[in-house]
Parts: sequence; C-alpha cells; structure tokens
Amino acid sequence: MTGMVITITSGKGGVGKTTATANIGVALAMLGQKVVVVDGDIGLRNLDIVMGLENRIVYDIVDVVEDRCRLRQALVRDKRVGELYLLPAAQTRDKSAVSPEQMVRVCKELCEEFDCVLIDSPAGIEHGFQTALAPAHKVLVVTNPEVSAVRDADRVIGIIESQGKGPAQLLVNRIVPARVRKQEMLSTEDISEVLSTSIIGIVPEDEAILTASNRGLPIVLNGKTPAGQEFMRIARRLLGEPIPVRPPVELSWWQRLFARE
Amino acid sequence: MVAIKGFREGLVIVFNTELGQPWEQYLHALRQRLDSAPAFFKGGRVALDVQALELNEQHLRDAVHLLRAYEVDVWAVRAQSPYTRASARACGLADTLQPPALPTERETAWPQAVEEVSAESEEAAGGLFVRRRVRSGQELRHPGYIVILGDVNPGARIIAGSDIIVWGRLQATVHAGALGDRSAVVCALEMMAPLVRIADVTARPSVATPSSTRRKIGSRGRGSAQMARVEADEIVFSPWSMTGNSRIERLLSKIL
Repeated sequence: MTGMVITITSGKGGVGKTTATANIGVALAMLGQKVVVVDGDIGLRNLDIVMGLENRIVYDIVDVVEDRCRLRQALVRDKRVGELYLLPAAQTRDKSAVSPEQMVRVCKELCEEFDCVLIDSPAGIEHGFQTALAPAHKVLVVTNPEVSAVRDADRVIGIIESQGKGPAQLLVNRIVPARVRKQEMLSTEDISEVLSTSIIGIVPEDEAILTASNRGLPIVLNGKTPAGQEFMRIARRLLGEPIPVRPPVELSWWQRLFARE
Repeated sequence: MVAIKGFREGLVIVFNTELGQPWEQYLHALRQRLDSAPAFFKGGRVALDVQALELNEQHLRDAVHLLRAYEVDVWAVRAQSPYTRASARACGLADTLQPPALPTERETAWPQAVEEVSAESEEAAGGLFVRRRVRSGQELRHPGYIVILGDVNPGARIIAGSDIIVWGRLQATVHAGALGDRSAVVCALEMMAPLVRIADVTARPSVATPSSTRRKIGSRGRGSAQMARVEADEIVFSPWSMTGNSRIERLLSKIL
C-alpha cells in the first residue's frame, strides 16, 4: 500500500489546524480509509486531546525516532471509527527532537500500511513546520477570514511553492455568513483574490466545535452540525469526489436550533 | 572591476579578474559599489563570482565581513579554481550557485514557479521576468528592470536597479532605480503600493490609503493603472498610458 501524506498547516496559530486534522482524519476513517493522524507539534501537543485519546498514550513520535519503541507500539487506536490511529507528539522536548529526514522516514513506513497519513503542523515557518512539510504529498493551508491569517497563509503558500510542494489547497475556517454579508468579515472571494489557491472547503463558525474539542469528540462524529458536515465533504473531496465548494448559507434561528448536538 | 548581475538564484557580484589586481583592490571597489547604493543591497543575499582568482579562507572572510557591514548575506562563491572552492567550503559557503537540495525527493508533477532571466537584453543589466504571483515574504532583487506578470501581494518586496512593471495589482513596497537611477519608473495596472521609492525619493500613492475606519472589511476597492516617476525631487503619479515613455514601450513590446 502506498498512502498519501497530507500536511495541514497555516502559518498563524489558532486558526483551527488541529481541529481540521482531527475531523478530516475521523471523516476519512468513516469513509473506509485506513488513516493515521500524526501530531507534528512536538512540545505542545494537542491533537490527542481534541481526539479524546490523551489517556491512552504510551509512546510518542520522539520515542520512535530515538528507537525506544517500534512505530506500531506508538500508534494509539481510535476505537470509535473504523481504522483510525494517532501517532502522538511528545509533550516534553521541542521541535528539534525530530528532523525533517526522520519525519520522512516515519511517514514512508506509515505509508506502507495506511491509505492516508495526516500531519498536524505546528504554527510558524520554522523548524517544526519544515519537518511537517518535508514528507507531504499534498498540503492544506487553514486560514480564517481575517486579514492577518490571510497574510500568514500567503507567506506559507509561497514557501510551500518554493519547496516544490505546491500548489497548496486552502481550507477557510470559521466563516460567519451573516458577518460576511454585513462586510464585517472577509468573504471567500476576498481571500481567493489575494491567495489565488484552490479551495478544498469552507467551514462555518460553529459553537459546537468548542465543546466537541474540549470533550475530545471530533464534531464530524455528529452528522447534524454544519461544520461537521463540511469536514465530511472535505474528506470526500480529498478522495476525489467532485463535490462543489460552496460558501455556507445563513441559518434561520430554528435551523440553528436543530443543528445543535 | 566589480559588476552586479542578477540570476534566477538572486544577485551575483562578479569580480573582473582579468585586471589581475590584489584582492584588497577588489574589496575597495566592492566597498565603493556598496556605498554608491546601500539601499539596493541592504537585507539582500548575494553570491560571489570570483572567476579565476586564487583566494584563501581569509580573503573570502574579509569579503563576507565587508558585505555583512552593509547587511548583505553571502551564501555561495563561484570560482574556477578548486583551491578557492575549497576555501569557500571552509567558510561555510556553497561552492556552486545551485540551490541546496531539499531533504525529500521533489514531486515532478507540480511545476516550479517560472522565472526567466533574459540574458540577451539590450539594456546593460538586463532584466528579471517573473510570471507568477509574488507572495508575502518573497523578495525580488535585480540590478536591471523587473517585470512581473501577476499580482504582488502585501508583504512582498521588489527592488530593481531600473524600472519595475507590474502587470497586475501592486500592493507591496517597491524600490525602483535602487542603484541611483532617478529616471527609473514604477508602473502597475493597479497601483496600490503602500510605499514607492525611486532612487532616493519616497512617496505614498494617495489611492492606497483609504481611511481605515470608514472602510468596510473585504471591500478593498480597485487601484488604477498608474505610473510613478521622479519630477523635480518628487515622485509624481500619473495615469499609466502604455505609450509615451520609450523605455517602457520597448519593455512592453518584449513581453506582450
């Protein structure tokens, strides 16, 4: 089996990389793919919490590259959906603990067994980002409808292109349709005009995300929420299904009521 | 004695070694060149082409120190002599102008950004011709003219010895005539640069600064096609008609 390595990055922090990684990972597994999500944020690991697998970690990626365990032993299985595994980051140590070459080697091994390898990149454009980018076959850049997030996404897309890893695809996260209509927030068109990158999905702002992340229940497990539905469509698009990308529509108050968990 | 050339990999300082001068003389000439237009070099990254010169480690370190004083980074040395190449490696510099290999194998399916340097241009320094969007954090620096077919995003930087032509929306700081040529011009289909410099003159185009409190987010508006040039110690912005400036007309005839 030769899996596909997808790195999820953003430049700016706090735009939803980890949430996107967890949800796309769960969605791909729900679609029958054999998936492993890799936490690239060594020293500041979060992916395990968002996925609700924090208490089951025994070994991490640093143990793997430093030969304290075999790769298999470090993988944590998510029992809620088909074939989904987490390769956790270390919470001690820092980004220098794993080199780009080591990440490439780990991913090559994972590709032999999995269909999809998702890497949650740390924020920034330094060592940790370079490490997460090195093995990527495909790169998703997450941005918010904010000028600062778009500026950083532009910088990151430029670096991805110059390293021959492009073209990156864009995931616009936390759009509020009503605020776009009132011109208080950048629209998807505004973002495309600056970044001119193909868009893989537009995820609406969804209060349910916060509770879902805190509870370790990726929102895509709840098929009723708008954000969860869009993450599922993103997973389908990654697998090549021709689902058109549309900006989210404004929900009426009663639709919002029923979209609750 | 010392020439500045632009290549795809960036600026190269070429030492004309046929003159057979001692190294100190070359460094002196380099210092004069840097003093003549410090803004052009500041913050840049250069390679040295020392041709047939036999240089030891100390010679190269002197050059690196001199350039560093002007905030210029040296990354590579091109030399015909194996001895000089060894000295370059000993200084931690590349001994070829090829960009360093990446840690992973490149994907062949995704083409690299296309940049062309037209070597056989009639202009003395030639030009840099870029056919892509220039993104935030990216910098183009060339001793001749720079032509960009595409938008220049906020946070990018364009520095040219001669003219800068942007066939698209210009939203970044630019410096034309950075080697001291006040006759250089900046043209853009949508002039929205926050700052335009030509040689030693600086200005802000008035269209690019709408009141930020009144502006609705997302409606950035459109810039108009403008040309910036120096007139009596000031930068003047005027509607860019594609005719009227023979140098620009010649450049455009080459690209369009």
